[in-house]
Parts: sequence; structure tokens; C-alpha cells
Amino acid sequence: MAERKIGEVILDVHNISLRFGGVKALSDISFDVREHELRAIIGPNGAGKSSMLNCINGVYTPQEGSITFRGQKFSHMNSRQVAEMGVARTFQNLALFKGMSVLDNIMSGRNLKMKTNIFQQAIRFGAAEREESEHREAVEKIIDFLQIQAFRKTPVGRLPYGLQKRVDLGRALAMEPQVLLLDEPMAGMNVEEKQDMSRFILDVKDEYGTTIVLIEHDMGVVMDISDRVVVLDYGRKIGDGTPDEVRANADVVSAYLGTSQ
Amino acid sequence: MGFFLETVIGGLMSGMLYSLVALGFVLIFKASGVFNFAQGAMVLFAALAMARFSEWLPALLGIDNKVLGNLLAFAGAMVLMVVVAWLIERLVLSKLVNQEGITLLMATLGIAYFLDGFGQTLFGSAIYKIDVGLPKDPMFLLQNVFEGGVLVNKEDLYAAGIAATLVVVLSLFFQYTSTGRALRAVADDHQAAQSIGIPLNRIWVIVWSVAGFVALVAGIIWGSKLGVQFSLSLVALKALPVVILGGLTSVPGAIIGGLIIGVGEKVSEVYLGPTLGGGIEIWFGYVLVLFVLLVRPQGLFGEKIIDRV
Repeated sequence: MAERKIGEVILDVHNISLRFGGVKALSDISFDVREHELRAIIGPNGAGKSSMLNCINGVYTPQEGSITFRGQKFSHMNSRQVAEMGVARTFQNLALFKGMSVLDNIMSGRNLKMKTNIFQQAIRFGAAEREESEHREAVEKIIDFLQIQAFRKTPVGRLPYGLQKRVDLGRALAMEPQVLLLDEPMAGMNVEEKQDMSRFILDVKDEYGTTIVLIEHDMGVVMDISDRVVVLDYGRKIGDGTPDEVRANADVVSAYLGTSQ
Repeated sequence: MGFFLETVIGGLMSGMLYSLVALGFVLIFKASGVFNFAQGAMVLFAALAMARFSEWLPALLGIDNKVLGNLLAFAGAMVLMVVVAWLIERLVLSKLVNQEGITLLMATLGIAYFLDGFGQTLFGSAIYKIDVGLPKDPMFLLQNVFEGGVLVNKEDLYAAGIAATLVVVLSLFFQYTSTGRALRAVADDHQAAQSIGIPLNRIWVIVWSVAGFVALVAGIIWGSKLGVQFSLSLVALKALPVVILGGLTSVPGAIIGGLIIGVGEKVSEVYLGPTLGGGIEIWFGYVLVLFVLLVRPQGLFGEKIIDRV
């Protein structure tokens, strides 16, 4: 498959500051994400990685700064509006619809793409029926892609953790997003599961051409798969660049390993 | 034998009516994870609206046809229930996104008191009647099998038919449409639902409108049986054990739960009543539920809650 060229800046985060009362979660963070890029945000516990992602996703509204997506600046957006612009996300602590089957969970990701109204659906005839089977086809592709065919009808709550993470990814993919935000997709996984997940993420990038913003704890994985890395520590940006540049950055090393006296 | 059958059929009919109220609980619980204490108040409110509109609207428009008048009143009451749903979303639920279930539960308690009071302020607190032309005369079945046949109340039969239809339509809607799926998604996780672009506010208005519709149908049927008055909001207490027995998340469960309790209480009243001293109907549902909860905490048809540790 053809490697997609990294393109123009698609998402631009500019001087973001976020406070919860007196606690400064983020201060003055700026970075950009280019099209078809895999951009990682790393940092120790409590560095503000998830807060950063939640700002982009519209869950939090930063007090200062702006976020520009495809040339469109947004502030005071809620998650749903951000979703409509073509940004999907996965969650650090799984937020799947536990009582629903794998298929229904991923189908729910197509919600924004469904155009028929509630009354057409209620009689489920003509347009609604056609629409449902069209979307079903797209969802089946995702299920194949993530290799979870065997669990289609299983309620998600019954699946092992690693597979639930895949369903979470599948639901986000079903939105056919332009930007995919992944919040610690490999947290709590063993080495083998991490390798599987890394492969899926790279395949998403290559096959769907999706731009990916990835938050991760595990330095090793991040360095292997990302194009550029932002490093946060205590809500500040302390490094930004290619994996090699970041690895050589003295601030980053001391944040992760402590400073030698 | 004929008498036993009569008792069972009577139980099935009243069970169906409990189910109708229970359905309102299940709908809102399925779609927002909230146990709606206001369901009984909504039944009363809808019934009051229906009763009064069927006097006011024909008088206002000079219509003499009873069927037309009732249809108008029904449409008017339905519009009112949608407005109520919209207001509840605007003024209460939209402020409580991502809050704990208990917070929402308390809010519905508040809504219940408000609707009880507001409905009677708006429509008056006397006893009103709803007459939608349900036949009152009893009929006798199987007269050639049993002596005297089996007595069935026609009104109950119609009511049971209406309830059954509603249930089938609603469960299909929940299971097989994308809006139904969105409703279930919202019930499971607000934040995740928003992140995939499900509009929380619109979903809530839809759910409360549908619950309002079910409350209206239940209010009309109960109202034409018992008259419309404050005690109508207490039918919710009859529906409570039904929902818990059937499982809070199951539409068919609400029906089967209703039937079990309806039949159980009638049969035990008739056959155990003389020995135990009567009044069994009042507590039967609750005691049954108590025992079911010991064995199946999620109810007979509820989704099993699995926690991975």
C-alpha cells in the first residue's frame, strides 16, 4: 500500500491554557498536526496529556488560546460539534456502550452519517432500510479490519479488555474521521497486545489516510510509530520534534528519569 | 374451571394495564439510565389534559362530533406532552449532562411534584371523566364449554390490545432503528455518545416525548376506567414492582412482568384470600419482586450487569 505523504497543517493548537480553579492543567501550549501524520503527545503522569486531548475534543474549554481545525478556529465547542467537523476519539478508560453488541457499538459510530428521520426509521421502509444496509457494509469492513468478526454479536461488556479497546477504535473509525484522537490506546496491555494495537494504528494511517493524535505512556511504542512527538510535563511543553530529536532532549530525559545530581 | 379461567383472564387484562404504565418507566430508563419518578405524574397530567381538552376544544371550535372531538383532544394532549418533554430537557436535563444517576433521579422526583401540582392548577382538581367510547359491556366466551361461559370485560380486552401493539412497535423501534441505537448509546455513556456525534438534547426530547405518549395512552385507558383524579398518579406504584420484576431495561419484560403480577395477584386474592384474610392484591407484587431480586437482581429480562475486576 502506498505511503501517504505528510501534508499541510490540519490542526493548529495555539497558546492553550487551561485551569481548574487554582490548578493549572495546561499553560501556554502550542503545537500543530499535519495531514496524514501520526503525532504523539507524551509525558509523565499528570502532565496534562488527557486535558490537552479533551480540549481538542471540546470536552473542556480552555481559558486562553485557540484551536484551529482546517482553517476554522473554534472555541466553546461541545464534543458533538467537534464530532461533526470530523474529529473522532477513543477513551483512556473505556467508554463503550457495554450492554450493546460489538456490531451495534460500531454502528452507533455511523450516527452522524445517517440521514433518514425517526419516522422513516420507525416504519423501516425504503430509504431507512437502504441506509441501514449501506452502513452495515461499512461497519463490516471495519470489523474485518480489526479482526473481531467472531465477536460481532457479543455484548461488549463480556469481551476481554484488549478486544474492548479494539471496539472503541472501531467505533471511532466508523465515523470516517479526518482526525482521530487516541487516548492511551495501549494502556494496560501486554507486549503482544501492544504490538497488535500498534499495527492497527499504523494500518489506519496508511489505509484510511487518517491523521492521528496519540497519547501514550509507553515511550518505546511511541518512538517506534510516530512521526513527531510533543512532550508535556506539569502542563508545560518541554519538547517537540521527531522521535530522535525528542530522545536527545535533555529536559525530556530528566522529566522521565529524573536529573542526575 | 370456568371460574379459574375467568380469574386468570381478569388478571391478564389488569396486568396488561400495569404494563402500560411500566412501559413508560422502561423507556426512559433504557434511553437515559434514569429511573423516572415522574412517570405517574405524567400519566395524571396527560389524562387531565385529555379530559379537559375533550370538553374545551369542541366547545371552542363548535364541533359536535364526539369522535372528532376526542381526536382533537388527543392531538392537543400529545402536543402538550411534547412541550413538557422539551421543557424538561431545556430546564432540567441539559443542566445535568454527565452527572451521576442519583442526581438525575432526584431531579425526576422534583419534576413529579411539579407536574402533580401544575396539572391540577392548570386543569382543576375535580374528578373528570374521559369517554373515548371503549365499550363497557361484558361478554361471555366459551359458553358451550363451561356452564355460564367465561366473563370477559370488553373494555379490558381493547385496552390489552392497545397495550400489546404499543409494546411490539416500541421494542422493534429500540432494537432495529438507528435512533433506537442512539437512545441505547446515550443510556450507556453520555460522553462517549457525544463524542460520536449523538445529539444528547434531541435524544432526550424524543425519549420524554415517547414516554409522554405512553403516559397519555395509559392515562386515557386508566382514566376511562377509574375517572381522572389525583389518585391516578398512584398507578405508578402498581407499575413499580412490574418494572423491577421484568427488568428495568427490557420492553418485553415490562409486559411479561405485568402479566405475571396481574395474574398472580388475582389468583392469590381469590384462592388464598379467604385463608390469609384478603387484601393480597395490594402487596402481592412487592413480595414477589422481593423474592425475584434475591435470585436475579437484574430482573427476569434485564441486561446482566457484568463487572470485570
